[in-house]
Amino acid sequence: MNIAKLTKAYDGKTVVDGVSFDIPRGKVTSLIGPNGAGKSTVMGMISRLIARDAGEIGFEGRDLSAWKSRELAKKLAILTQHNNITMKLTVRELVAFGRFPYSGNRLTAQDNAMIDKAIAYMELGEFEHRFIDELSGGQRQRAYIAMVIAQDTEYVLLDEPTNNLDIYHASNMMRMVRRLCDELGKTVILVLHELNYAAFYSDYICAFKDGRIAKFGTVDEVMTRETLSSLYGVDFEIIRVHERPLSLFY
Amino acid sequence: MKKSLSTWILAGLLALASAASLFVGVTDIGIGDLAAGGMQLRIFLLSRIPRLLAILCTGAGMSVAGLIMQQLCMNKFVSPSTGATIQSAQFGILLSLVFIPGVGLWGRVMLAFAAAMLGTWAFVAFIQRIQYKNAALVPLVGIMFGNVLGGITNFIAYQSEVTQQLSSYFVGSFALVIRGNYELVFLAAPLIALAFIYANHFNIVGMGRDFSSNLGVKYGRVLLLGLSVSAAITASVVTVVGQISYIGLIIPNIVAMFRGDRIRGTLCDTALSGALFVLVADMIARTVIRPYELPIELIVGIIGSLLFIGMLFAKLGKPLIRLTRKEGTCHG
Amino acid sequence: MVDAKRNVSIWTKTSAAAMNPARRGNARKIAILSLLTLLAGAAYLLVLSYPEKPKLFAYVLSLRIPTLIVMVIAAFAIGCASLVFQSIIGNRIVTPCLLGMNAMYTLVHTAVVFIAGSGSVVARNANVSFIIDLIVMGTAATFIYAYIFKKTGNNVLYVLLIGTVLSSFFGSVQSTMIRVMDPNEYDALLVTLVADFNNVNAEVIALSIVLLGALAFFLRHDLALLDVITLGRAQAINLGVDYERTVRRLMLGVVLCIAVATAMVGPISFLGLIIANLARQLMKTHRHSYLITASALFGMAAIIAGQMISQHVFSYAVPVSTFITIGGGAYFLYLLLFTKGGV
Repeated sequence: MNIAKLTKAYDGKTVVDGVSFDIPRGKVTSLIGPNGAGKSTVMGMISRLIARDAGEIGFEGRDLSAWKSRELAKKLAILTQHNNITMKLTVRELVAFGRFPYSGNRLTAQDNAMIDKAIAYMELGEFEHRFIDELSGGQRQRAYIAMVIAQDTEYVLLDEPTNNLDIYHASNMMRMVRRLCDELGKTVILVLHELNYAAFYSDYICAFKDGRIAKFGTVDEVMTRETLSSLYGVDFEIIRVHERPLSLFY
Repeated sequence: MKKSLSTWILAGLLALASAASLFVGVTDIGIGDLAAGGMQLRIFLLSRIPRLLAILCTGAGMSVAGLIMQQLCMNKFVSPSTGATIQSAQFGILLSLVFIPGVGLWGRVMLAFAAAMLGTWAFVAFIQRIQYKNAALVPLVGIMFGNVLGGITNFIAYQSEVTQQLSSYFVGSFALVIRGNYELVFLAAPLIALAFIYANHFNIVGMGRDFSSNLGVKYGRVLLLGLSVSAAITASVVTVVGQISYIGLIIPNIVAMFRGDRIRGTLCDTALSGALFVLVADMIARTVIRPYELPIELIVGIIGSLLFIGMLFAKLGKPLIRLTRKEGTCHG
Repeated sequence: MVDAKRNVSIWTKTSAAAMNPARRGNARKIAILSLLTLLAGAAYLLVLSYPEKPKLFAYVLSLRIPTLIVMVIAAFAIGCASLVFQSIIGNRIVTPCLLGMNAMYTLVHTAVVFIAGSGSVVARNANVSFIIDLIVMGTAATFIYAYIFKKTGNNVLYVLLIGTVLSSFFGSVQSTMIRVMDPNEYDALLVTLVADFNNVNAEVIALSIVLLGALAFFLRHDLALLDVITLGRAQAINLGVDYERTVRRLMLGVVLCIAVATAMVGPISFLGLIIANLARQLMKTHRHSYLITASALFGMAAIIAGQMISQHVFSYAVPVSTFITIGGGAYFLYLLLFTKGGV
């Protein structure tokens, strides 16, 4: 996926200003940066939830806007943090929606097999017929991931997946992201607030500041004292744990 | 008490408009005709002057009633028309028509008052108990409560075949105001005076139960007094003129935009603006299809609902601090 | 080993046993509901119809059949429109009629006659004026309501409050227009311009059926997307739905359905709310094919039963709309105040 000169303004105020970078295939890429840096807006434009003012998003040789929405849904899955569904839906029914781009409202045997696989993968078997509004936050988040797995796309976009989760569930979520990439071979792009989750679980980091890219590179390239200090305006220390850079700040 | 410039300007405008209103009507009346006496003078004394006084009392009374209710309920969207007061009063009138047809004007207004008081009290007690207090929820509940009451009123009216009689209490009009049948609306004057005396009390109660007991103000008693004043004004207006919506909602909000929320400072301006608003609406109602006249409720309904929607949009644009003041004080 | 076992059990449970009973149960519920509706329709036609006196019987039927058709069409339109609208908005308390769409149609109709003049072709030919109404209504309503949703940021309580006020605004303007047209004949004019259950507008039956059929045909793909639309904008787009276009088309469909219903039986505000929620409660599913059918059937049964009560118990003295206002208003308050997380 190649992003070129992406720009977006709200009420005359530019929030994303000429952003260009290529997303490495088969890797986990995290978008980080202070509040208002434009990372979520970039994510929104990549996931076609927000219209862009200018720029191109090349996806498998074509611009995103040239794709048929239905075809794109087989290649690229989006999960945002706001998922307040008002319907009474069971976990299985929710996961089944992941097959919508393929079969519409009628599920084939193959679809059902995919749904079973996704539910088993996320260890949701015992909740399968429970309604999603009866689940805990962590379980619900897993149900949504299962839906994304059932959607069977190469690309997965996650907007702040650890938001509103406690440390236990957030760490589980990040391990899940790693597995999506390592075991299922997916390209995962996510917006993260917690710097160290990005450092520990991703391959590449794209750091945003004031609507522009401050630094894009591998985790080791971005997680340096100088880069982070200028990014957040706070002093940082970098330590290494399990051969990965983690940041300390106070 | 020093009056500010705006009060004098409003008073001046009101005086001018009143004078103009006296000389608008089916029969042309000039000042010379009055001096000459006869037919013109009688129309003037029997119809024009009562009409003017009724308009002034209605406008001032309804807007003050709205102001008090907004303060007491801590919600900018509460008023006699969004707090079920008007519909309760109509229900009271219906009861008088069905069960004691010969009760007369005063008996009728007493029943209307009692019903208005009960309905408003039930509504206020109810919204104080619900926990989820979004600013827009309260008027919505009030309007729907009013709708249901209106439905029940209609049902009984159909059953007892008093729909015709009742209809004049639904669509407010000054067309039938003549000397001898309207003096009841004068009740508004002493009630407004009472509101003025207790203005600070209403303000304090508006800040919440804890806040008022801290300052030694009896919360329940002042609340009851305030609601009674509003209900009494509404009952007298509905009995004499019929339903007039939105004034109690719009006028206090517009005045508060310029003058703030301290009742003592705004009460006078609110009353004057309300009177002016109704007066202008009445002149429009009388001139659009001369020699016929439109019920004033229609004009007030059109202008008022548009202003209210504009007000909602304006408040949505801004941070909702004013609107949601209630949540803050409740937690604190 | 344990994992494998669990996987097997999931297989058997879901594919064969778990899905089908629910679906069969829903099909049975629809069948029962249809039967009840049919019975209500038959009862409406036949109760006190004097079958022993053929001439009188024929006369009674000739009065009741058009009314029945009108009621069925109106209930169908309101039931479908309310349910679809709720799903688009993602809220069970909001229905198009509560936002004043029916009052708006009444206003549009009055305005068209007002501007064309009460003696013109437009005023005399019901079908011509109906088509003009639909065009004006379709354009104006989609524009106004889209603006409200945008401006309020989909804050449901504000949308409802503005809709309620808007409804009274439309009412006042319409009333004013009628009075300006003819101050002396206000009541007579009101009756010719606004239909109600005792004065149904049977002239536009054919046109309405054609219109509803065309709507169902042109919106069939959009309607199939409703299940996904209910997941919210982000999810719908994720699953490959052209969200904005679909919602715009469905919204136009909703507006036209409400126009059809209001043209035929006049404004009834709370019916849609009641039947759409009953349908959701009865059919414990998210499938719109079932929900919409159930909502439409509930609507027909409710209107027919209401009309029978009004006719035979209150001998026409109390209009159906009065019951609907009382019951629907109370139900609305209940939903507003006691639905957990509903608003």
